[in-house]
Amino acid sequence: MPGGWTGKILCIDLSRGDIRTKESQLKNDEYIGGRALAAHLAWEEIPPEIDAYDPDNRVIMTTGPLTGTLAPTSGRTVMTGISPRVYPRPWYTHSTIGGWFGPQLKYAGFDGIVIRGKSDKPVYLDIQNDRVQILDASDLWGLDARNTQLLLKQRVGQEAQVLTIGPAGEKQVRFATVQHSEENAAGHSGFGAVWGSKNLKAVVVHGTGSVPVANPEMLLEEVVRMREQKYSNLLGFLYDTGEQKEFAACSQSCIFDCFGNFYGYMADGRRVPANCIGTSWTVAKEMHLTRYAGGGFEIPSSKNFTLEKEVPLHELCNSLGLDLWFRLVMQPWLTRCTQLGIYEIRGYPIAPEDPSWFEKFMYQLSKREELGDLFAEDLIRAMDALEGELPQELIDLGREMEFNFGYPAHREGRFWDEEPLPFWVISAMMHVSSSRDPGIGHHLSSLLLAELKLADEKIARKQFRLLSEKVWGDPDALEPNFVGKAPVAIWSQHQNMIIDSFPLCDFAFPQLIRPFRDRESWEKSRDILGDLDIDLRLLSAVTGESFDRKQVNRVAERAFTLERLMQARAGRSRKMEEQLASHFQLPCRADGTAMDKSDFLRLMDEYYSARGWDLELGWPTSDLLKSLGLDEAIPELDQLRLRYALKK
Amino acid sequence: MIGNIKRIITNKKVCRDCEACMLGCSLLHEGESGVQSARLRIHKDMARYEFAISICRHCKDPKCMTDCPSDAMYLDERGVVIIVDEKCTRCGNCKDYCPFDAIYYDSNKNKYIKCDLCIGRDNGPLCVELCPVGALKIK
Repeated sequence: MPGGWTGKILCIDLSRGDIRTKESQLKNDEYIGGRALAAHLAWEEIPPEIDAYDPDNRVIMTTGPLTGTLAPTSGRTVMTGISPRVYPRPWYTHSTIGGWFGPQLKYAGFDGIVIRGKSDKPVYLDIQNDRVQILDASDLWGLDARNTQLLLKQRVGQEAQVLTIGPAGEKQVRFATVQHSEENAAGHSGFGAVWGSKNLKAVVVHGTGSVPVANPEMLLEEVVRMREQKYSNLLGFLYDTGEQKEFAACSQSCIFDCFGNFYGYMADGRRVPANCIGTSWTVAKEMHLTRYAGGGFEIPSSKNFTLEKEVPLHELCNSLGLDLWFRLVMQPWLTRCTQLGIYEIRGYPIAPEDPSWFEKFMYQLSKREELGDLFAEDLIRAMDALEGELPQELIDLGREMEFNFGYPAHREGRFWDEEPLPFWVISAMMHVSSSRDPGIGHHLSSLLLAELKLADEKIARKQFRLLSEKVWGDPDALEPNFVGKAPVAIWSQHQNMIIDSFPLCDFAFPQLIRPFRDRESWEKSRDILGDLDIDLRLLSAVTGESFDRKQVNRVAERAFTLERLMQARAGRSRKMEEQLASHFQLPCRADGTAMDKSDFLRLMDEYYSARGWDLELGWPTSDLLKSLGLDEAIPELDQLRLRYALKK
Repeated sequence: MIGNIKRIITNKKVCRDCEACMLGCSLLHEGESGVQSARLRIHKDMARYEFAISICRHCKDPKCMTDCPSDAMYLDERGVVIIVDEKCTRCGNCKDYCPFDAIYYDSNKNKYIKCDLCIGRDNGPLCVELCPVGALKIK
């Protein structure tokens, strides 16, 4: 076994109480780890067309070869399965979790866990190296995520790491999280509800082993160099005010200063780390990015209740096991209701700008009580239930706010993100084809480049031409127009797959732009291209195997194609994806640009063609499957095509 | 007599638990990644989100060494206590005597380990170099 991997996957059947291990079957050059490995396991194990709450659905958790090592930001875990949040019908997707759980799992000797079945009573999984037990969780059921972790750590040891659901997962709230540590979560995809449906409360792991590293000197050299460069995620140089800041770490081995991570403070002075969207609760004085007006829609700004109230609310949200994003969707929508003179829904009063009401609403969501039961189905499903009861403007708004198959609008240049042309066009292609809201090193804007364009368009566009030539072989790839963007979208999706498979953090990788000390040094630069091969060097250092970009891209394409095949199994096809067109007819918040439906359909043609997918259904062609070594999928896909033709 | 012993000064208030120090330590000393083989430890109190950092303080009168029954420790020219693994009988006295909980038993390798200030490393202790928040400093 080369460095990096443990070679074992833990297989749990909760219905039978069965615990086994199997070889990772990594076929290292084919699936690497993390999200790509999970796609392979899911394709083999999850029966087609099942619901998220079917006991045959799997909870798949995988690490990658870098997990548990010094490779910066690598302490990540991937969770996949059929997601209950996806609308209109559940399909296979993923979430990734930072933190310290994945490393402990590796130290205990496992690359991943696959959980199937359903226990007849609440249980938790206890992993102490190779001693694995399914234990009674009756005393944990009902506890919030924070207290569950505190109790299990007290029981097992402070070094143990815990994944757990809160009350929201137990009640199968569709956006229930699997929580870890203070702030880490598999949040968006509602896997907490899947755990709840299986009566699985928590997984606790403590390992005393280590991860073998094939070339320690090479790994150290790479890490020390990155540390010296003081790489700052999210183009911190654009926003550096000189003020001393404290950056929280959201993952083991993160040595970067990440502009997505800060601390909030409780009244007693306790630090509360806040990452990504959590910072909106604990740091931002105003959630102004929720404000939007255009295309007949009006979204008010989310009110910040003052940090004194926000920090505890933020911790409560995590403890209840609710996806923090629900706030950015539901609070503005409910506020819009009140702006239109609606102060109650189904007889229940609403006061979204009153912190005590909002806190109560969070409890109601997590317990599925009163109004919470309706909205526990997520905003978009609540719109279906409320159609005809509320003004159509509100129903349409709710649907638009979760236009992306039930996920909160994200990376689309309208409601929350400043993505000027062409970045939202690239994102639109990714929305069309990804199993969930797309991600790629973009946590302020697409590819981070949009930030540069917004900072100084003239300088940025000149730099983009050289960068585009070098990365995509086309100097026009980032010109502000609607053509020739498919290669960038596909590159981004594959980079995202790679990051999720090694794994690394998409706040920090790929390092498409090199580190800059300050704004002035960026402005004076002609060539801004960063080091895109750090990931490969880290992988080679840890595993001792040499990987080239072509090989890794093929891994990414194969895994992405498997994910696409699983969407096809769930009935997702072009027809469904064309419905996204209306969202991109809304004006972009950064520059007012938009596209009509015919242009959107042309964009889909361009993307599907570049992928090697057919234009009618948007599914991989047999030729593509053969070229990726996925021949075994061809008969099933042929059957699906036949069924689709008969339905038509 | 050794004057001015350099030691690693810790500031637990700024630690953010990235564990780069421990992972770097295990990589440098054992060629692997794991917290068990690290020569320092970060202990987290989740209830308070507070951290404690345990690492050898390089005592002027190191009881771990003077009381070692097998004479398996010596003071090097820098004033750093070094464990001679070949002589060590694994009795664990040193670990028990250490007032700072800074000597560890690595059960995987059946040996006792402690900070050696990255002996022979040109840039000094790796943990200090890696720490992104200055929670570890050499003085």
